[in-house]
Amino acid sequence: MSEEYDVEFVEREEREARFLVRGISPGFANGIRRAMVADVPTMAIDTVRFIENSSVMFDEQLALRLGLVPLTTPPEGEFGEDDTVTLSIDVEGPATAYSGDLVSEDDLVQPADENVPIIELKEDQRLEAEADAVLDRGKDHAKHQGGVAIGYRHLQRVEVVGDLPEFEEQESRIVRGVIEDDGELVPTSEFDHDLSNRYPGKEVEVEDVPNAFVFHVETDGSLDVEELVTRAADSIESRATELEEAVQL
Amino acid sequence: MSYKCSRCKRDVQLDEYGGVRCPYCGHRVLLKERSRDVKEVDVQ
Amino acid sequence: MMVPVRCFTCGNVVGEHWEEFDERANEGDEDPQEVLDDLGVDRYCCRRMLVSHTDLVDVVSPYQ
Repeated sequence: MSEEYDVEFVEREEREARFLVRGISPGFANGIRRAMVADVPTMAIDTVRFIENSSVMFDEQLALRLGLVPLTTPPEGEFGEDDTVTLSIDVEGPATAYSGDLVSEDDLVQPADENVPIIELKEDQRLEAEADAVLDRGKDHAKHQGGVAIGYRHLQRVEVVGDLPEFEEQESRIVRGVIEDDGELVPTSEFDHDLSNRYPGKEVEVEDVPNAFVFHVETDGSLDVEELVTRAADSIESRATELEEAVQL
Repeated sequence: MSYKCSRCKRDVQLDEYGGVRCPYCGHRVLLKERSRDVKEVDVQ
Repeated sequence: MMVPVRCFTCGNVVGEHWEEFDERANEGDEDPQEVLDDLGVDRYCCRRMLVSHTDLVDVVSPYQ
């Protein structure tokens, strides 16, 4: 019963993307945004067992730092919400313990960033610990939040309506996001977010395109952008199905 | 209870009669060593 | 003490860039603004995490 939506990528990288979706209501756009932030399960360390910690920071502080390290999340269906993956770290000073020093028992769950310093160890200091990672959602703890700084804006249509009077100085006109100019999608960063750079000497009109939203999605590395968006959409769908079944009783 | 003298860095065993004092150098500041138990911490 | 792993405000991982930032902008003589742009730390919430951070491990380590 799924509906087709018109999705078009404006910018696309592994961890950051901008895409246009047409034909959705503002409420639905916000639903997707919220699902990406709070409802897509990702892996993160939840309990840490310290075997030795003679560093300058407390066990609790180090546990929090380890918890915030993003871990790659395995494909859907591979893990349940109660499964754990154990990672271990063993570093002896003088050295710095990095997130990359975490050794995982599972190839699917690895630190997404390897250069995050956990703790600097001096001579004779040592950190040895075991950590359990679990799958959970952003609404339970920010460490499980796969999406970072996710937002959307209306697509804006720019139309040239005429020339400026000959001796009038043009004022800058700041627009942020993506504009549609004669059907062509242009990120505003291309002209320094200022319409007077793109249309010198012209008078332009800007209006929101109804029901067209440009999403800006960034991830912390635990999922790639595409995976995050599809899982968010799936989570909305499963909630809707659940509601439908509950209401039909 | 095992402690460590903060001046001479030697291990000190305290009993209930001796008071808090290092038997080797007489220093009165003793540090309690971290337990060898594995400590489990929740990430919060 | 150590660099925060993530930005307090948006949750972006900033710890990843600390060592390079420190080397180039604090130890070296590059302009912090350019280094941050180069590292891809775009938002001002994440930028302040690196710019305002001081490592204190060396200060507290003598007190074990």
